[in-house]
Amino acid sequence: MALGKSKKRSRVFRPPALMLTSMMDMFTIILIFLLCSFSETPETLKLDQNLQLPKSSSEREYAKTIKVILSKKELRLNDEVMATVSGGIIQGLSDVQDLKTSSFFQRLKTYYKSNKEDKSEAEHPMHLLLLCDKSHSFKTINAVIKTAGMAGYPNFQFAVLQE
Amino acid sequence: MARFNRLTSGSRRSREEDTELNIVPIMNMFMVLIPFLLMSASFFQIKAINTSVAVHSNSPKSENSSPPEKVMHKLTVILELKEDLIKVSALSDTLEPGVLADLETEFTRTAGQALSVTSIAEHLKKLKTQYPLSDTMLLIPDADVSYNEIIQAMDCARKYHEAALFPNVVLSASLG
Repeated sequence: MALGKSKKRSRVFRPPALMLTSMMDMFTIILIFLLCSFSETPETLKLDQNLQLPKSSSEREYAKTIKVILSKKELRLNDEVMATVSGGIIQGLSDVQDLKTSSFFQRLKTYYKSNKEDKSEAEHPMHLLLLCDKSHSFKTINAVIKTAGMAGYPNFQFAVLQE
Repeated sequence: MARFNRLTSGSRRSREEDTELNIVPIMNMFMVLIPFLLMSASFFQIKAINTSVAVHSNSPKSENSSPPEKVMHKLTVILELKEDLIKVSALSDTLEPGVLADLETEFTRTAGQALSVTSIAEHLKKLKTQYPLSDTMLLIPDADVSYNEIIQAMDCARKYHEAALFPNVVLSASLG
């Protein structure tokens, strides 16, 4: 009996050859996919879960300007929260009399004045980029665009997702 | 012949040994490229639709100016979006009211039903063919019409089968 004794093999250890072909295939597919979705100007917009943009066939690029974000929960001007939204009603913008006294109007007016004073107007176009949730009714949007129009911004760009 | 076969099989074997590729540098390159492309990849494409709201204008009316003999008529198309109805009409300074009334049309729809974009676009194309100088559309949605439907209406007004229709859309609330 040779229990407890193992035969020592005198073979030289050779490291197993790695099969890199399948990994190469995977990397090639990933590389092609990423090359297709390459963008010179990657999106830096913060889109939260409460904001679903509508889809459109538009191919026009958006300009970098003041962003008005109207999500299901709140109204933001750039990154600043202006008002909360509940049941499709923007607090503080529900009544026509409130529009000019709202903080949204006041803030837009400030932007408008600083834009007017800025000599390089071509770099800062006088329009707003509106990112609005697709479920909002026109009544909700109208309060925003009416306020913006009164503050000196009658021209808009509606942000959409490309189909 | 047997000697020839032996010779060829031998040379094939040596050639197979020679053609072993060193994939490690390619793998290294991939490992650098993939993080870089991941950083600059955009998984959703945001585009924009230009529009404006109606504002008061102080420009003087050109009532006294005599119209030229041969006028190229220009329309402003009005698209009213209601819950159960879509109405297309037109405004013009140079056309007779009777002619404008002939251009009016209505599309009925049940509440909650998607917009029949094709039929609207076909009618708009007809108007554009008749009055090719026209490029402005006044969009008047009802208070309850969703933003998604407004965008759809803008899409069908902008172009139809690659033909430009009315790219300048002015958004306005109904007066009623």
